[in-house]
Amino acid sequence: MRTGAAAGHRGYFHEALCYDSDERLLAVALPFLLGAIAAGEPAVVALGERNTGLLRAVLPADAPITFLSGDAMYTRPASAIRAYRKMLSDFAAGGAGQIRVIGEIPPEAFGATWDWWARYESAVNHAYDEFPLWSMCVYDTRRTPAPVLADVLRTHPRSALPDDRHVRNADYTEPVVYLSGSRPPAPDPVQRAEPLADLTGPTPAQARDAVRAADRGVLPPADVDDLMMSVSETVANAHRHGRAPVRVRLWSGADRIVVAVTDGGPGPKDPFAGLLPSGDGSDGGLGLWIVHQSCSHVALYRQPGEFTIRLTAGNPHSGN
Amino acid sequence: MTRVAEARHTCWAYDDHRPFDAYARDFLGAGLAAGERVWYVPGDWTGTTAAWLRGAGPAGAARVISQADAYRGVAVVDPAGQVAAYAAATEDALAAGFTGFRVVAEATALVRSDAQRHAFATYEYVIGRYMRTAPMRAVCGYDRSELGDRAVAELACLHEASHEAGVTFQLHSGARAGESVLTGELDLAMREVFASALVHTDLATAGGEVVVDARELRFIDHQSLIALQRHLEARRLTAVVRTRLGATARLAGLLELPRVRVAVTG
Repeated sequence: MRTGAAAGHRGYFHEALCYDSDERLLAVALPFLLGAIAAGEPAVVALGERNTGLLRAVLPADAPITFLSGDAMYTRPASAIRAYRKMLSDFAAGGAGQIRVIGEIPPEAFGATWDWWARYESAVNHAYDEFPLWSMCVYDTRRTPAPVLADVLRTHPRSALPDDRHVRNADYTEPVVYLSGSRPPAPDPVQRAEPLADLTGPTPAQARDAVRAADRGVLPPADVDDLMMSVSETVANAHRHGRAPVRVRLWSGADRIVVAVTDGGPGPKDPFAGLLPSGDGSDGGLGLWIVHQSCSHVALYRQPGEFTIRLTAGNPHSGN
Repeated sequence: MTRVAEARHTCWAYDDHRPFDAYARDFLGAGLAAGERVWYVPGDWTGTTAAWLRGAGPAGAARVISQADAYRGVAVVDPAGQVAAYAAATEDALAAGFTGFRVVAEATALVRSDAQRHAFATYEYVIGRYMRTAPMRAVCGYDRSELGDRAVAELACLHEASHEAGVTFQLHSGARAGESVLTGELDLAMREVFASALVHTDLATAGGEVVVDARELRFIDHQSLIALQRHLEARRLTAVVRTRLGATARLAGLLELPRVRVAVTG
């Protein structure tokens, strides 16, 4: 039995909560959580430190609410989906008729890595739809760039407003359509330089060797190992599922290594590729999902006649 | 991976028998110099090694022996029986005052059919365990031009080391039953060879929890971990994979493989 605005809704009730003041945030978020408490529904708060503090100050001290660190929850989109799906499965198995979540992607994601978070916001409409979930995704319009807000309205079917108003977003776009579009990421500044390695048709082993050779000690060894694994999986996928020529270019910056793997094919058919595991791995979907959980940023994009996966290890937010 | 020169059990794949012949002389000569008894089991050609060996070393130290005598005919080898035969030969060598026993065997004729190759691959794995603790060393030669790349790779990967065999990994016996040693790199290129190699181990006979010593493993992809999981699942085994690769532990965690537990060692 679902309550509130999602009463009678089947599956995921996904709302954006765009606000421009603390009062406006609380005017929506507080009734949302109090409603969960009143209905005996599990409620989860995964916000940044500041907004968590605002809510804690006005919620009853003993409110049965699960508080998570938004910064920890939203490190990587595929990891967030994996963690949320486990949590939602547990709540559903426990008999929850509805689960309420209010979450906040950290503002640092609104820069160079927004493309994969936009994909996340779209993909979760599908990824969480098997659960009786009502969630609000919080965006401060004073700090959120306009292109990001435009994506928010394209990826959330509804917006939550004060006074218990819930309106449909006219720009909402079905995930399969939204995710099929190409969104080339902003070029990483390190890509302005000549690549340290530029390989045509490398084997996965040769691509791994290129990553090993590029390791100058600027990244923790674990990050290099994870990048090596990711490059290997991506090159293997390009050979198995893409089209020749497969090209690998690698750049190294002061705090990161960037690798672009390009092939002549159209890219994966599955619009959720990378964000959700796909099958048993035989179609390449599992490898791409692993890559999304192992790099600090992954961008997928199509250009005429080619498809590129760009992998970043280290700090993807640096403008240097 | 263990270097050929350091390995106790080596596969030497060749297209041209002359380098193999030269290596056989070096390997057997080193054995004689170390006071070991040596056997040379030639294939269809004898090269220079057989003639050289007949006059080499002290009495009883060197022997050129036919495949039929060394392997009791060239039909399908009996793995356990052949290990026992070489163990007896090693004991004989020690009893005669030699410091050990080493063999170069050109084994192409012993693996021509699928049935022969399957049995011999199983033997290659189990003789490796004997050589880990007994004073026996061996080099197995395979003619790639006759057997083909795939057949050679399936045999080569079961040795401690291999020479120009087209494999990037080795899966060979540990010192104890229920323990395998996995070295090198495993990816797309080795997928089918790795699945074949697992079948030729005797891990299933150990039962319960087995150990894969992967401390010298440099890379393993997710498909290979899934292949290991499937092999274990079919035989109702679980495995502890000991590795220095934190990425492998993270990968196994993502894949949630119920039969594979990765332990990161220093």
